[in-house]
Amino acid sequence: MKLSVYAVAAVAAAGMMSCEKDVIEVRQGEVQIALTDVGELPERENGVFTFRNVTSGVSTEFKEGDRILVAQGIYDISYGADVRLENGVVARLKGHRQSVVVDADKVEVELSTFYSIPSDDFIISEIFFAGTTTSTGTSYTGDDYIKLYNNTDHVLYADGLTIFESKLGTTDKLELTPDIMSEAMTVQALYTIPGSGREHPVQPGEYLLIADNGMDHRVTNPNSFDLSHADWEWYDVSTKPSVSDIDSPEVPNLNKVYCYTQTYWMLNNQGVKAYGVARIPVDNETYLKDYLYTYNYTIVTAAGSFPMSQTAYRLPNEWIKDVVNCSNKATYKWQVSAAALDMGFTWCAEIASDKNRFFKSVRRKVVGFNDDGTPVLSDTNNSTVDFNSGVTPSEIEAQGTAMDAAGNKAGVITWDGVLRK
Amino acid sequence: MNNPSILKYATLAAMLLAPGAEVCAKVKAREDTLKKVERTLKEVVVTASENRGVGTSSRIGRSAMNHLQPTSFADLLELLPGNISKDPQMGGVNLITMRETGTVGATGKAVADRDQVTGALGTLFVIDGAPVSTDGNLGSLGAVGDVRGEGRETMNRGVDMRSIATDDIELVEVVRGIPSVEFGNLTSGMVNIKRKRMASPLTARFKVDGYSKLFAAGKGIALADGESVLNIDAGWLDSKVDPRNPLENYKRLNGGVRFTSVKDLPGAVVRYNINGDYAGSFDDSKVDPDLNLNKIDRYESKYNRMGVNTEVALSLLRDRWFTDFKLNAGGSLQVDRVNRQRQVSPQRGSIAPTGMQGGAHDTHFILSEYVADYSNDSRPLQMFLKLKAEGGQTAGDVSHRYLAGGEWSRLRNMGAGEVYDISRPLQSGWSLRPRSYTDIPALHTLSFFAEDKIDWHSRVGTMTAQLGVRVSTIPFLDRRYRLAGRWHVDPRVNLLWNLPAAELAGSPLRIGIGGGWGITTKLPTIDYLYPQKQYIDIVQLNYYSVKNPAELSRVNVMTYVNQGVNYDIRGATCRKSEVRLNAGWRGFAVSLTAFAEKTGSGFRSVQDFASYAYISYSTAGMSSEEILVATDLSQLPGENRQVLRGVRMPSNSSKTDKLGIEFQGSTPRLPWLRTALTVTGAWFRTDYSSTGELYQTVSDVVGSVSVSDRYVGVYADEDGRVNEQLSSNVMFDTQLPELGLIFTASLQSVWYLTTTRKWVSGVPVSYISAADGELHTYDAAVETDPLLRYLERSYNPESFRSYTVPPAMFLNLKVTKTVGKGMQVSMFVNRLFDWQKDYVSNGLLVRRQSKPYFGAETQIRF
Repeated sequence: MKLSVYAVAAVAAAGMMSCEKDVIEVRQGEVQIALTDVGELPERENGVFTFRNVTSGVSTEFKEGDRILVAQGIYDISYGADVRLENGVVARLKGHRQSVVVDADKVEVELSTFYSIPSDDFIISEIFFAGTTTSTGTSYTGDDYIKLYNNTDHVLYADGLTIFESKLGTTDKLELTPDIMSEAMTVQALYTIPGSGREHPVQPGEYLLIADNGMDHRVTNPNSFDLSHADWEWYDVSTKPSVSDIDSPEVPNLNKVYCYTQTYWMLNNQGVKAYGVARIPVDNETYLKDYLYTYNYTIVTAAGSFPMSQTAYRLPNEWIKDVVNCSNKATYKWQVSAAALDMGFTWCAEIASDKNRFFKSVRRKVVGFNDDGTPVLSDTNNSTVDFNSGVTPSEIEAQGTAMDAAGNKAGVITWDGVLRK
Repeated sequence: MNNPSILKYATLAAMLLAPGAEVCAKVKAREDTLKKVERTLKEVVVTASENRGVGTSSRIGRSAMNHLQPTSFADLLELLPGNISKDPQMGGVNLITMRETGTVGATGKAVADRDQVTGALGTLFVIDGAPVSTDGNLGSLGAVGDVRGEGRETMNRGVDMRSIATDDIELVEVVRGIPSVEFGNLTSGMVNIKRKRMASPLTARFKVDGYSKLFAAGKGIALADGESVLNIDAGWLDSKVDPRNPLENYKRLNGGVRFTSVKDLPGAVVRYNINGDYAGSFDDSKVDPDLNLNKIDRYESKYNRMGVNTEVALSLLRDRWFTDFKLNAGGSLQVDRVNRQRQVSPQRGSIAPTGMQGGAHDTHFILSEYVADYSNDSRPLQMFLKLKAEGGQTAGDVSHRYLAGGEWSRLRNMGAGEVYDISRPLQSGWSLRPRSYTDIPALHTLSFFAEDKIDWHSRVGTMTAQLGVRVSTIPFLDRRYRLAGRWHVDPRVNLLWNLPAAELAGSPLRIGIGGGWGITTKLPTIDYLYPQKQYIDIVQLNYYSVKNPAELSRVNVMTYVNQGVNYDIRGATCRKSEVRLNAGWRGFAVSLTAFAEKTGSGFRSVQDFASYAYISYSTAGMSSEEILVATDLSQLPGENRQVLRGVRMPSNSSKTDKLGIEFQGSTPRLPWLRTALTVTGAWFRTDYSSTGELYQTVSDVVGSVSVSDRYVGVYADEDGRVNEQLSSNVMFDTQLPELGLIFTASLQSVWYLTTTRKWVSGVPVSYISAADGELHTYDAAVETDPLLRYLERSYNPESFRSYTVPPAMFLNLKVTKTVGKGMQVSMFVNRLFDWQKDYVSNGLLVRRQSKPYFGAETQIRF
């Protein structure tokens, strides 16, 4: 028996050796990187370039200063180094560039870099966009929510904070004219927490739960959970019985600034949009009037090239406090926000229409704990690194409700979907 | 055949009852003669033959059907000029298209267009003299976008050709041109089916292909009196939409008994027919509950048609003004049932409006999953009576053959209607209510017709003119209808000039030039006259109690009931004109027809908008107790508002303009190859669009205002597509009678298909405003409200560019072999070879593929 195994191994080895002759020679390319955009480069430590081969998904790291030699191909290049700024603040110098083609023996690449400073406002700690299912496996969408977190060391006021959804999708790359992404995001839903400025304080280490419907969803779907304790909900008034939203009297409503749909807003169920929080310094009327813009792109089909024109609202990058690009792992195409805001993405679905996405959310990783025991969440403006993707939602864990269509209950409570409490 | 009376009878009958004459002759013939004839080896016609008389029509005989091996009537259409073979589509009703390209999408793929139904609806099917009426069909699933019901509905759609079996058919005549005024209530054309009425041995047929199994048997018994024949047929079809999916299938069961008798009376011959038929058509589609947790999703439709028809024809053997009289009378009852069962999972809490009356009323949230049960019971009962008298006079070179008559039919749906629990609708957004069909009045149609066919034999050939007029009305119609008391007048003319035979290379050359002009009218169906009521439900109060959603919530809805009736509805009218050339020489035949058919008043449903008032109640800061005790809602703070809502309404705003050239040519059989060549084909140009001013909504939301709640524009654009197609069918037909072998190869080609969207401006001519509910002219200078500029729909110039699909060719083979005395074995392969080159459109490579479709069958005569 053993002998035959060896025989097979020998044959296999022989086969491999003979195959080796057929292997096409992999051409190498040397990459020289110029860091730009931050003026004079500061003193930096631990500089590392990461080359992720888009085709194979394999990442290779190179220390800054070393010769970079990679197989020719298409790469997503990212860079990180520790820096001390002139004002003494310790930050990260980061850079990211997608789809860099290395197709020659020597390639020069300009990498736009930026400083990453820990946020001084709310960050998104969790997005539950996929929803649950009923016991029959039918998607149930009313229970989506977003959780915000005070990751700072001081009280933050939620008054006037706007949650938003991107108009562009991360799975559908478009060549837009004008391309305003370096200055502003293109958004399609904006809802603001009411308040005069100091009405809704949130302590350091506290969460804010913003739900689509602040109701006990177990009434309509026993596999769902209770959201009647939500801090806020978004409610869309409609006169059509088929698209009537539910207004929970117990949960205050967000102020609707704008929403693209004639029905009711729910988080993108496939999870292919970016979500974020912003503080809009102008009043609603001014915003709706002045921040509408038109962009053009072309759809090429066999029936013709269709120049498309769309009108949407833009949200200046400097107003944006946090953005999380969501996608599905297989068909992700691009970032719908500037790399300075977010240079990665997180997901619940492996592929488009993945049924395994239900009962899953994306949760920000815990990187440490404060003295009072509250967690410190990862915030490097890279959602791929900062988030645990496709984990059990915190509300399902906390309430011990169903984790799947069969109704199996959640039994483990974690900080971030991975780290056990 | 030396009995002179029989001879006389046969000639008379041939004149009077062609093509049934053959049948009568055979009835009279002695049985041994019959058998002898059958044993004679002869060549058969395996193609459709073009009519050489007045009017343009194709005839498809029994032998062509045997060789074609059809599953249903739909398969016969490949023999018409311009058509090519298609795979059976058993997952939806099969509708006829005549002289048109069919509706296609932007890339030339066939799509079903609900606004283009008049073509199939306006094609009259007549079986043994009795019209097949579908005008009383109401089996429509009210659900919008229901995956399983889609395409299976028969309401307002014409005859489902799947349900017509071909085994009992002797001859089909497809009138593509201008039909005789004897036939009406049609626009596009007519299919005249004559079934077997002759003594024949028991014949059984068994067909198998990738989609279906078919079994049919029939026998014609010559009765002892020597004057009558009894035909009995039955058939069964079991098919799958996709052979890999056992959960979606279509079945058909049909059976019929036909009695035919001819009696010689002193001075007259009476022919009497009576037949009883049954056709059952069953669709089933569901999901496997084991593969889908316990999800229930099932669609089932049963169509059962039972009919009794009788025909009495009297031919006087004396010279009178009118010598031939025919009475057709019959009745048919359809029992159609759609059962739909679906598990519905409400998202958040849906609101189910339950008010059957107009006004404000409380309703409830649907808070849990449920199984919705819906049934639609439609039972149209049709009765019809037709009387016709014919006669002829000859004076010198001119002979007249004239006819006059009348036709009456009554159609009433006796079905229980749509039955379901309104609080448990099939889908959210349900805006309909249960209704019974027995409340719908009966639809009567009354027509009269008169026609004279004049033949003038002269030195310059024979000239034939068929001049006729048909008038039709809907009696007993409510006065409010524009059609009440009005008559549609259909004049029709067919001309033919057969030139005197000229010699060409020692053989006579026959040339015929013909033409015609006429109007055909299809009267509205029951649904177009008496559509379903539309319910407009507007939420006034939406209070959801978190503590006790089932008992302490309160929803109030304002309901408006709209009858949805268009009192201005009228018949769809088609204006047809054509010219034709026939030529024949030494067995070669050519026929060329150019036609133009314009239907500007086809049926379709449109949206009609109006402004509706409601009160928006606020419950902010109130406790559930306060809200629940408020029996009178006016105690709550409320605001009066107006909103625009649309309802569906039937209209005459569908347009179909057909233009084309049909050609057919055939050669005699080449003796050394035993092969004859037949070429058919057509060039069609069809304009499918809408006419008149139509409401269209825009989807823009500005700020938090949905534009279509406030303004809806009226657009005068003729939105639609113009398609052009050239196709041909070249058939090599080889027959070796001594081996009992028939082999045909047909090369079917679509040379090109071009589709172009008609240009639309997107600028409304007027708009309706929610504020006053009035129509205002839209002027670019309208500055009253910036929202109004959103009504200008912008279209991309690229979308009006033509798209062309380059040539596609397919080779189909069919073989029939007679084995021994009474057995025939056939097989076919469609698209055994295909030639469909990849092509580049707009820089993108488009690849095309096709799969062969094949099957085999055996016919045994006992």
